[in-house]
Amino acid sequence: MERTVTIVPEAGLHARPASKFVQAANEHDAEVTVEKVGDDSGPVNAGSMLAVTSLGAAHGDEVRLVAEGDDAEAALDALEEVLSTPESEDSEE
Amino acid sequence: MSERTLSGVGATPLSGVGSVVWYRPGEALELDDPPEPDAVDPAAERERFEAARDAARDELETERERARERVGDEEAAVFDAHLQFLDDPQIETAVGDELDGGLPAEHAVREGFSGPISQFESMEGRMAERADDLRDIRDRLLRLLVGGERADLSALPSGSVVFAERLTPSDTAQLDPEVVSGFVTATGGRTSHAAIFARSLVLPAVVGVGDDLFAVEEGTEVVVDGDTGDVILDPSEETRAAAAESDRADVRHEPVATSDGKPIEVAANVGQPAELEGAVEQGADGVGLYRTEFLFLERESPPDEEEQYDAYVEALDAFPDGRVVVRTLDVGGDKPIPYLDLPEEENPFLGERGIRRSLGVDADLFETQLRALLRAAADGAGDLAVMVPMVATVEEFESARGALDSVAADLDGEGVDYESPEFGLMIETPSAAFMADEFAARAEFLSIGTNDLTQYVMAASRGNERISELHDPRHPAVLRAIARTVEGADGTDAWVGMCGEMAGDPDLTRLLVGLGLDELSLSAVTIPDVKANVAETERESASALAERTLHASTKREVGRLITETTENTEP
Repeated sequence: MERTVTIVPEAGLHARPASKFVQAANEHDAEVTVEKVGDDSGPVNAGSMLAVTSLGAAHGDEVRLVAEGDDAEAALDALEEVLSTPESEDSEE
Repeated sequence: MSERTLSGVGATPLSGVGSVVWYRPGEALELDDPPEPDAVDPAAERERFEAARDAARDELETERERARERVGDEEAAVFDAHLQFLDDPQIETAVGDELDGGLPAEHAVREGFSGPISQFESMEGRMAERADDLRDIRDRLLRLLVGGERADLSALPSGSVVFAERLTPSDTAQLDPEVVSGFVTATGGRTSHAAIFARSLVLPAVVGVGDDLFAVEEGTEVVVDGDTGDVILDPSEETRAAAAESDRADVRHEPVATSDGKPIEVAANVGQPAELEGAVEQGADGVGLYRTEFLFLERESPPDEEEQYDAYVEALDAFPDGRVVVRTLDVGGDKPIPYLDLPEEENPFLGERGIRRSLGVDADLFETQLRALLRAAADGAGDLAVMVPMVATVEEFESARGALDSVAADLDGEGVDYESPEFGLMIETPSAAFMADEFAARAEFLSIGTNDLTQYVMAASRGNERISELHDPRHPAVLRAIARTVEGADGTDAWVGMCGEMAGDPDLTRLLVGLGLDELSLSAVTIPDVKANVAETERESASALAERTLHASTKREVGRLITETTENTEP
């Protein structure tokens, strides 16, 4: 099961959004990978903060999520929500 | 390069100019070369790594809770990221491979982190900052693994501006205001420990700058404006000159009196020996609140009598013509001290703390402290006064006085030199304020601790930003508690002081004089301003202002009365 999502938070998949993203991935049993569309470095473990932030995915970038497992759909929904929610009163630059 | 500005929270009305020195606890840890792989037991090393990681997780969780309490969820989220990095599967694998290869845990951590760190370093902009996060986590683990001391902050080049994610009380204790031009931290708010220490140390400081701080490179020229909260990187000559010239009030090294002649003692709040010098320099008449917690916190066993004696004599010697009011140990369920076995409490601020412990489970500790104090009173240059915190009943104060007398009798019997100090209490519970007359009849002095008094009068936690509107000492309810305390001492020999943050607000000096306080004790940095305001205050008009505020029904009304009076009396 896969889905392509455009990143909404201004900060991109950076500290705080990435943190929420990883948390959401780890709350589900499904194995989820994330890959930056148009980047040939390949998919990484969505449950790894290190891997996710190292994608360098910015605001407006598209990422492809691939999930496998019982709650794959729920996992994708949760991750899509994180990626589509702008950060409220963003204190970052 | 042109100027760039980062914004945080100004902690002191001071500016400083200098160059950035990054303080990353653990960074300076030098590791010996690893032993031969066959000399290492990989299973044992993996256990050490796991233990260090558990400890790091505990530390981070504690810091996250503290940040959440003090500055809110947004700031605390940074710690969530650190916690996630700490347990990251990729790190786990990288360090695990090194452990399997026969490296001791600390070397495995250093090697295992090096790949991811350089991976982030090679990326652009904000991503490069994640390398700093990883370094922080790596250094935390290294420190825990080798049980190392934190990096040395006491030996910095002159003109250093210390940049750090956060500074603990023991970190700030090492800062020498003669050498350091200021500090900037990523976390913390105006009432954080770091900010309070900055005021006591008379250091320019900006706190709570956030993650952007980590992108600033070592050696960058910087202006720290503790007034506006601006941190200006690569300042122009103009900016730099303006900062260097920023005016300070004249320091008065003499005691001051109101314009109609009532002497008001203006003393400093001191949390550790490093702050004494700043207090003297800013013209403090003495110390109105010497917190002794620094002697007890962040260590594995309590300080003995000699260590305490030395610290108290040092404080007394700093003010040969003044008075030093030492507060006995004030801990409770809210501050972790390993050897005290503090209970988990549902309401630590209403629990077993301050004098309640000193008369109970910590009686031996209390006795040792009193012995050290009585001996120091005889040998130190200045006059000693001792006060006990968190008193709610007359019986508590009488028991504390009993403990003091019994220690004096012991010293007498042993033929040890001692002197009996003035003995008083903090007025910080509503019950103590209501009963002030009873206490004044039994004590040499009363010292109003406005931070806690406000918290207890308003039933509003000091640490909770969401209700900070309630936690304001200008509320008429708090002013009435202060007035009641002063009235209670009327006609007795007891003097009444104030040692909360309120005393350090120069806008309130006139009101406090009007309320009838004899002594004000505050962060060293505002002493010149407060002394100047005392000298300009005339008692009769100050009393009239106080009277009006006591009849006010809201703090807004109090604020308006204070502003009006200031405007009407300004030339």
